[in-house]
Amino acid sequence: MYCKKECIAMLLAGGQGSRLYALTSKTAKPAVNYGGKYRIIDFPLSNCINSGIDTVGVLTQYQPLALNDYIGKGAPWDLDRIRGGLTVLPPYQNGKNADWYKGTANAIYQNIDFIRKNDPDNVLILSGDHIYKMDYAKMLDFHKEKKAACTVATITVPIEEASRFGICNTHEDGSIYEFEEKPKEPKNDQASMGIYIFTTSVLLEYLEIDENDPESSKDFGKNVIPNLLRSGERLFAYPFSGYWKDVGTIASLWEANMDLLAEKPELDLRTRFFRIYSRNSARPPQFIGKTAEIESSMISEGCTVYGTVRHSVISGGSVIGRDAVVCDSVIMDDVVIEPGAKVYYAIVDSESVIRSGVTVGSPDAGKERITVIAKGSDVNENEEGTVGTK
Amino acid sequence: MSTTGFIFSNLNSNTLSLLTSDRTVAAIPFGCRYRLVDFALSNMVNSDITDINIIANYNFRSLVNHIGSGKDWDLARRSGGIKILSPGQEARQADAMVYSYRLEALRSIRDRISELTSDTVVLTDSDHLCNIDLNDVISFHKANDAEITFVTVQSKIGDATRDPQTAIQSDAKGRITDIVKSTGYDPDHPLRSIRLFVLSTEFLVRSLDEAVARNYHSFTDDIIMHSPEKRRFFSYCFHDVVIPVTTFLDYYRANILLTTDAGARNAILGKWERPIYTRVHNSPPTIYREGCCVKDSLIADGCLIEGTVENSVLFRGVKVSRGATVRNSILFGDTYVGQGSSLNCIVSDKNVVISDDQNLSGAGSTPFYIAKNKRI
Repeated sequence: MYCKKECIAMLLAGGQGSRLYALTSKTAKPAVNYGGKYRIIDFPLSNCINSGIDTVGVLTQYQPLALNDYIGKGAPWDLDRIRGGLTVLPPYQNGKNADWYKGTANAIYQNIDFIRKNDPDNVLILSGDHIYKMDYAKMLDFHKEKKAACTVATITVPIEEASRFGICNTHEDGSIYEFEEKPKEPKNDQASMGIYIFTTSVLLEYLEIDENDPESSKDFGKNVIPNLLRSGERLFAYPFSGYWKDVGTIASLWEANMDLLAEKPELDLRTRFFRIYSRNSARPPQFIGKTAEIESSMISEGCTVYGTVRHSVISGGSVIGRDAVVCDSVIMDDVVIEPGAKVYYAIVDSESVIRSGVTVGSPDAGKERITVIAKGSDVNENEEGTVGTK
Repeated sequence: MSTTGFIFSNLNSNTLSLLTSDRTVAAIPFGCRYRLVDFALSNMVNSDITDINIIANYNFRSLVNHIGSGKDWDLARRSGGIKILSPGQEARQADAMVYSYRLEALRSIRDRISELTSDTVVLTDSDHLCNIDLNDVISFHKANDAEITFVTVQSKIGDATRDPQTAIQSDAKGRITDIVKSTGYDPDHPLRSIRLFVLSTEFLVRSLDEAVARNYHSFTDDIIMHSPEKRRFFSYCFHDVVIPVTTFLDYYRANILLTTDAGARNAILGKWERPIYTRVHNSPPTIYREGCCVKDSLIADGCLIEGTVENSVLFRGVKVSRGATVRNSILFGDTYVGQGSSLNCIVSDKNVVISDDQNLSGAGSTPFYIAKNKRI
């Protein structure tokens, strides 16, 4: 069915997230659990629907089972539409060859037909790696107002960390004159968020050029954006302010969860406006027993708490037994912490069991030494959890 | 062969009048995140009954809102799915009436019933909460070649109800030998109907024809109680937990029971193979702040708790401020409890605001109700 769209989104959700170690051994990074009831991909998908973008291609590649299962037809985000909606775009075989997605640009290139079919004026490129709320409609307005070929969303980062990012050097009007991917000596602190809006014709043209360049590593930040600049296209930086967190490492994922426990969290999930949607599994309400002690924590549906929970995020269906202690930790779905077990500074992945008497992590470990318990682990006494970062 | 479900949304609303001033019985909030109708609906869905009709009469706006497309119960279907039958059928007639009896309700949708292709029908009110596998009842019904099967519970000595209940006597095989109306424990009729029935479609159609011909109004009085011993009426005795919610006090106690009785809680809400579905709200998880104290309570997502909560049921979006105490209370969605306020045996309807330093108390036998949107 032909239905012209002003802007569609292409969400790159194939990332492995190898620095999340055990958490992503069986799951693509966008499907990693966050904030008690969310997955990372809920954020870009909810942002899309809250910004009026109702056509989203989700490009999957690495361990897509859990991710596909989670996104389904897109119903939780109101993206099960007749016109538009959510489409999962895995790598595929065509006449001559079958290819994995070789880079971010190549992944989009392989799905040019999907873009053409929707015939949008603009294409929004997103990744499934970040926690943030952003109104893409405002960025699209900016893009149109500047008559840009490409707009790059940027955020201010601490200058000492700037060399981890793609840095945009801009003129006063916001136009970009230089884009440096992970510069050794960054000239400023305006980092690319990996969110781009392209005017469709420009995107198609430069994807074609990039694809035919044997030297290219087929990456937006490394190849396509610098190429646009060299050719003198109008590139603009769209400055975003607000909470934005890359949850690519164990420490940052843990920290992003802990950020929600602040008295006034920078990322407010409680506002009715711009709500973050997630797939719900019909769980009963949470039950807090007589012996429970809870402080500065976030607990989700289906949990049963008889023990002590301090400064932790507990996801749906988990059980914290009597005299068990959970401190400064992230407990994912359907975990059982048996009576008397203790968990400090840890991320415990779904369906794990921590047996009575076991202590995971230590009270003085701190955020640099987070213990990770892989999905479905059965942690007995005498057994150490998988330590993800040291 | 398939089964069709019918749910009566608003029988017996007069005994729950506080909670039904602007909603039907089916839409009464219950147990943190549910509405009463969710239990009847989920029992049907979990028993593979996916052609369901809710017979509404009045005040059903909140019910329509709750059900939406039926997607949250997996009932947004091309074939079957959920339908809310509003009382429009006879509204054009001069003597149009809103039903007050089950039989009148069924008469009003007689054309729909006569079109049914399923051989079995499940009829239920929404005021008895249980988690039951209806396939067991239907198998029992078919094995007995029954016309109607009543789901019943054993009544106990000391049971007393304000309104007469259907009390049943049956033989060892479950065949009903007598039916009476009783307000208390009756040793000769030890089974009590929980107003959940399985009928053969043919029997239902025949009964409705007869009801029209003879101008019957009451299903129980005019059809069931006529020499039941000569008919193929059966009783399926259900031995798990059933919680009646027929009066306001019942309603209050049923909610509190879920906080005090783990057995009842698990029997109703905790069966992972038969979850209770409800409308999804996308509330964030509940936040427990430093200094809060929560004991024996059932809490929905989306709450913010800074104070003390004991033996209470908190619906979505409730806020209990610092220094506030909530005991033995049921707080509906978005209730706000101000700093230093103290609540005991309160049922607050949606969006109630209780300002700082208020002291409100009902009693366990007469809980105090605060109407929707009220500010105190």
